[in-house]
Amino acid sequence: MKLIKSIVRPNKLDDVCEALERLNVSGVTVTDVRGHGRQKGHTTVYRGREYSVNLLPKVQLEVVVSDHLVDEIIRAIIETARTGEIGDGRVFVLPVDYGYNIRTGERDA
Amino acid sequence: MVTIPKPTQGDALWRSAAGETADNPLGHVAPLLAAAREEFVRQAVQGRGDRAALARYTDQTDRLVRQIFGAAQDLTDTPLIVCAIGGYGRRALCLHSDLDLLIVFQGAIAAPEERAASALLQPLWDLRLAIGHHVRELSEFDRLEMGNPEFVLALLDARLVAGDDRLFAVLLERVRDATAHHVERLDVLLSLVSQRHVRFNDTLYQLEPDVKDAPGALRDISAIRMMRSIAADTFDGTVQFDESRLDRAEDLFIRIRSVLHAQSGRNMNVLKHELQERAAEALGYQGSHAGKRVEALMADYFRHARAVTRSLASSRRMIAPAVAQIERRRIGKSLDVAADGVRFADSRATPMPELWIEAFRVALANGCAVSEVALASIEQNIGRYAVDDFVSTEDSRQQLLKLLSPRAGLYARLSEMHECGLLGCLFPEFEKVHSRVIRDFYHRYTVDEHTLLAIRTIESLRSSPSSERQRFSGLLDEIVAPQLLILALLYHDVGKWRDEEHVSESVRLAQPMFDRFQMSDEGRRVVEFLIANHLEMSRVAFHRDSEDPQVVARFAAVVGNTDLLKMLCLLTLADIEAVSPEALTPWKEELLWRLYVDTYNQLTRGYADDRVEKHQAGLAVLLAGRPEEISTEELSRFISGLPRRYLALYGLASIYRHVRLSRDIHPNEVHASLEKHGDVWELSVVTLDKPYLFSNVCGLLSYFGMNIHRGQAITTPDGLVLDVFEFSDDEKFLAQNVGASTEIHRLLQAVVAQSVNVPTLLRGKQQSVIYRHRRMLDTIVHLDNQHSQRFTVLEIVADDALGLLYRISRTVSHQGCNVELALISTEGTKAVDVLHVTKGGRKLSSTEQFALKEALERTLEGAHEAD
Repeated sequence: MKLIKSIVRPNKLDDVCEALERLNVSGVTVTDVRGHGRQKGHTTVYRGREYSVNLLPKVQLEVVVSDHLVDEIIRAIIETARTGEIGDGRVFVLPVDYGYNIRTGERDA
Repeated sequence: MVTIPKPTQGDALWRSAAGETADNPLGHVAPLLAAAREEFVRQAVQGRGDRAALARYTDQTDRLVRQIFGAAQDLTDTPLIVCAIGGYGRRALCLHSDLDLLIVFQGAIAAPEERAASALLQPLWDLRLAIGHHVRELSEFDRLEMGNPEFVLALLDARLVAGDDRLFAVLLERVRDATAHHVERLDVLLSLVSQRHVRFNDTLYQLEPDVKDAPGALRDISAIRMMRSIAADTFDGTVQFDESRLDRAEDLFIRIRSVLHAQSGRNMNVLKHELQERAAEALGYQGSHAGKRVEALMADYFRHARAVTRSLASSRRMIAPAVAQIERRRIGKSLDVAADGVRFADSRATPMPELWIEAFRVALANGCAVSEVALASIEQNIGRYAVDDFVSTEDSRQQLLKLLSPRAGLYARLSEMHECGLLGCLFPEFEKVHSRVIRDFYHRYTVDEHTLLAIRTIESLRSSPSSERQRFSGLLDEIVAPQLLILALLYHDVGKWRDEEHVSESVRLAQPMFDRFQMSDEGRRVVEFLIANHLEMSRVAFHRDSEDPQVVARFAAVVGNTDLLKMLCLLTLADIEAVSPEALTPWKEELLWRLYVDTYNQLTRGYADDRVEKHQAGLAVLLAGRPEEISTEELSRFISGLPRRYLALYGLASIYRHVRLSRDIHPNEVHASLEKHGDVWELSVVTLDKPYLFSNVCGLLSYFGMNIHRGQAITTPDGLVLDVFEFSDDEKFLAQNVGASTEIHRLLQAVVAQSVNVPTLLRGKQQSVIYRHRRMLDTIVHLDNQHSQRFTVLEIVADDALGLLYRISRTVSHQGCNVELALISTEGTKAVDVLHVTKGGRKLSSTEQFALKEALERTLEGAHEAD
């Protein structure tokens, strides 16, 4: 099993979720986050006063999937979240040792 | 105080409780409990789990405790008693309620007493009862544990279940002595009530209410009775109090709770959506389908919870020490402000509707409630009046609108109006969503309460904004007519009375209200825009790429001007926050603010870049509505070259007036119109461009003592100038002089023709008024060549002062710059002016920008650069 953690633009959330649903991904965790990568933030001016906007709002999605689905899911996330501009986000893949269902106490296969 | 450990599943007693051995010590009591529970469930699912059922179940539980007590008592020589406290003490034990027991030993607790307590408690645990136990020595009641407020209050309901009644009498006496200072007990009680209410965002209108803990539910009924018992002298005959209302509410809540316990098989007190249907069916609510039955149940629930909440509020007011000091005083001829709020002076007479509105106005002005007596009187008589009785005169309409101005207490007063039926009478369209339940994943409150909570958010921005909310609070201060924002909020969701798409229905339902209030075109336009677009800003902020300038530009085009933007931003903030306490995260708040800032910049700095085009949206309406005397050609000629947002900024009547003013204009001529709108004057000026024109017009207004609040100055590529100023007549020149308007026109003509020199005209005022210095905030001068394609954007934020705009614009002219467009606004004591300037027909170079900035800073510091 793998944990796929992706950080995308907030407005791409719905598209990515729909793409995951089409691939029958049964569960997803969504968190509102702020941060920056290469898109370092910018300076904005409001009524003549400058403000730095260093941390940009993003959405983090986490899904745990079987190994054989990883590539397809990553492809779907990238295709739906991409605009081609700096700030499109990142995808990370982490190994998962075990998963348990809290209600039943069963360990995932 | 002794702690008796709860047994684990491995303990011998636990095994015996399961009935595995022949000498099972619970063998005789387990069937008793099972039978009691079975009977309770049978009653509950038939909607008969009422107070009598609870009392019967309590009695059977008492019997069970007594049977176990017999064996436990033999393990110690120290006299002991077992008391029921809390809800169990009140004989209101529900099927899966905690069994709150107090075990008191007359003497010291040593090993035998601990064994006795264990022998009492462990069988109860083995029966899988949820026990809340307290084991104490009698001496511990010499001084009560005020740090344990729940326990202190639970003691007030103490009831002897088993043991020596003389020991119980001693215990009661000590508890009474220890809590003799009822102020302390009331403080404890009020504090617990407040803490509990905060968990529910202080509102009873939960879509899935907790029938025990929510505001207006069972715990509040107990709290009211406790208050009235503790402070009986305070309540003695002074406040109308209907005990039967509490009884009826309690009966319903208990029967619902019984169903919840019976159906869920646990101590579940939240009336969740899925259990609402079962409860409605069990309690015999009628309806063609399950949804209707649930609606009937919930309407009943809210009605009773409202009655409880009103009783609680009224009781709290009576015992609040600060209020108790208030002496009754007369306001006007017909109203009194008393300890429990505003009352009608003559309680026997049926007050007239206008006095009802006045009562709420007085309550808001005095920071107090409308008394329960007055609310009851309104409620009783409301059916005799219709909405037209409240809006028959211009004064009554204005009074009503003024009542909606956001300030401390507005939510509470509107809630009172809502509960007594007055709000629904004044705004019948709002009545359509009274207690309206819409089931979705996000909303936690009924539609009407969601609306009122949204208004509460706006109110809190004005009365007690948190540090994070200061930026939004600032926007509220800048809105010219905040009551229109509240009106828009009141109507934004009324379309939810039906199940289909609600936005267009809300807009439709607002139309009769506009007519009743005979609202101005501008007022209608604002409120209708806000209702129609109340979902737009959150859609763009959270579901579009708001970092994309095109997305922002499109949104700015929809909004059109900064006033509407500010109102829409606040409406969006309030609307989201009123969905549930978790809905508006800091992350969303930040996104919303960023969209606001980007759109604001787009609207102010990019204002002049987009010009009206042939097929511009809104142009067709303008052409279709034109009066006969304005030809299509004339209208098109005037419009072409103006900024696109000009169409969004002005109504049709204003645009046609501008067209007329532009007719046959020649060099050195000026065409102007001066109109009064409420307290504000509007001067529209059309002329042909020339150096110092803008500063000269500003200077002339300053000469007459006019305080410019807002304005637009637009120059077309053909050199036609349209200036519109809104100002107040601070020195009463217009108010007190018959020929004042003519004099302004005469001097305006002379100034434009340059036959009068404005600096000379102003010389007499310079030291006294124009250069009056009262710095409160840091002056900001910012120049920007990025945002506009053709102009350098100059943004100035400074303390507002008479003549400020004259000084700024004159300095700009001194620097050889031309003001192509000006957006002038005054926000409280702050002037925010955005000027689009050029020098020699192009943007300013860095050196020119630097020079202009320095000159302006010197001017604004008071160095009289503008002379």
